[in-house]
Amino acid sequence: MLRAAGLVKSYRAPSGMPIRVLAGVDLTVKGGEIVVVAGPSGSGKSTLLNVLGLLEDGDGGEVWFEDTRVSALGRSARSQARGRYVGFLFQSFLLLPSLTALENVLLAARYVGRSGAAMRRRARELLAEVGVADRMDHFPAQLSGGEQQRVAFCRAVLNDPPLLLADEPTGNLDDANGAVILGALRGRARAGAAVVVVSHRAEAAAGASALYRLRGGVLESS
Amino acid sequence: MKPLRVLRGYLFTIIGIAIGVAGLVALGAMSERIVRFIEGGDRFVLGQISVAGRGMGMGTGFTAGGLLPAATIRAIAEVPGVSGVQAQVMLPLDPSTSQFMTLTQELILGVDLAVPMPNRHYRALPVRAGRFFRDGDRRVAVVGASFAASRGLGVGGHITLEGESFEVVGVLDRMLTAPDRFVMVPIADARAQWVAKDRLLRTVLASGGVPLTAADLNTGAAVGWLDGDDPDAVALRIRERVPGVNVQLPSELSRLLRSSTAFFSALLAGIGVLAFVIGGLSLANTMAAAVFERIRDFGVKRALGATDLQLGLEVLTESLAVTLVGGLAGIGLALVLGWAIDGTVARAQQLFHFSPRLLGGALTFSILLGAAAATYATARVVSVSPAEAIRRGS
Repeated sequence: MLRAAGLVKSYRAPSGMPIRVLAGVDLTVKGGEIVVVAGPSGSGKSTLLNVLGLLEDGDGGEVWFEDTRVSALGRSARSQARGRYVGFLFQSFLLLPSLTALENVLLAARYVGRSGAAMRRRARELLAEVGVADRMDHFPAQLSGGEQQRVAFCRAVLNDPPLLLADEPTGNLDDANGAVILGALRGRARAGAAVVVVSHRAEAAAGASALYRLRGGVLESS
Repeated sequence: MKPLRVLRGYLFTIIGIAIGVAGLVALGAMSERIVRFIEGGDRFVLGQISVAGRGMGMGTGFTAGGLLPAATIRAIAEVPGVSGVQAQVMLPLDPSTSQFMTLTQELILGVDLAVPMPNRHYRALPVRAGRFFRDGDRRVAVVGASFAASRGLGVGGHITLEGESFEVVGVLDRMLTAPDRFVMVPIADARAQWVAKDRLLRTVLASGGVPLTAADLNTGAAVGWLDGDDPDAVALRIRERVPGVNVQLPSELSRLLRSSTAFFSALLAGIGVLAFVIGGLSLANTMAAAVFERIRDFGVKRALGATDLQLGLEVLTESLAVTLVGGLAGIGLALVLGWAIDGTVARAQQLFHFSPRLLGGALTFSILLGAAAATYATARVVSVSPAEAIRRGS
């Protein structure tokens, strides 16, 4: 499902010196697999996930979704590819504060032209599956961290994307809520999605198809 | 998402826009008021040839001058090109008021209704309530809108002038120019007022040294011209053929009026431009800031697949709604402020004129500027990667 080859990415330090974060990353994730990328803070895990999910450009290398070389697409096509192929789960949830839980979930459908009664029904089902059906009309500020991440998970999977990218999805959660989210991600993998999880928590590696450590800008198999 | 909730999310933006637009509209309305005053005066002086007796008597109004006797009025009527001459008496309501303050002075105007109104632009003055007085009426008055409002006068009310009671039979429409502060009375009553106000005139009449009749007591005359004649040429002809008169060429009077009000026009134009710039900058800044504040939301939406076009349309729609609501609220605020100031501080004098062109222009300006600012801000926001947008907004 996801193939990345030779990904390179550098940032410029305030002094002007380039800092190489990714130095030729190769990664392949098939449908049904969970790949966990570990590494210390600042090692470039989030950058890798951003480049894989087309949230930012790499300086070099290629990203393929199925048979499409998405890294070569134009801005509009890349946006459409994100909407069609990728579901994101962020450490800080990133729910829109002005929308209710249900509206936040439905936001994922709006930009891929799938709005409608069927999507509303599906969103409600997902919220019920993760145990926050009774909170669907609440705003993010009225939800706990665990509830917010469950809503964010529903948003990520509403369009049934073949690829899920999760950046420290349990970083702001207690163990119980973290377990719920990791369990849900494993469930998506069982349903056929390719899942990439960036995490420094050992629990994330449980049940993973592969575990990598990002060191010196390259992925090392653990 | 409910539209009202969207607008509530922009509440402070809407308030900011409303304040900017209110300032713009209020200052614009004051400018419009002066413009209307000048335009009205210009229209009046261009519609007739104004003639006064030569001298510096009390007779006043728009033309300083002395007595204009009946014989002189008859002589003017015989000048080729003249279509009609209407004798008039124009006096300050309060003789102690400075004659220099004619822009805001209250005047008594007596007109001879035996002659049709010769002013081409004011054949009849618009009466809002009651009626205009008729030839033969006595001790009745038709008052201007500001005059009526400042004294709480209506049809059937009474006003005392030099100890004489006058019944108000009509109130004029607000004209935004001099007649708003007029008390119009039959010419016979105006002549009596003149005599009552002017001790010198009383002394002259009592002495019998000057053979004057009531018909000779005129401060001026409005002169009309025949269709096809050039009013300036007719005025020059009167000046040549009738001795002892001050004749104002309509074009000359118009130029004088404009030059005497040029300072106010320039001042208000400057204020208007400043309001335009300050209000515009405030509005654009408020709208752009509202978009920049949402950079994280844009990053999230782009992560969910929103294209630049989708985001642009979304922001444009919201900014149009926000500036429309903010603009309307600002206009409403300006209207309320103007109404309150006109009704209290200005003592029923109208300081503001909220013309449709001003309100429409201000609303269009605010919407277009708000949309432009929002579009600019959106273009800046989407120029960074979704990851960077999320980072900056977190």
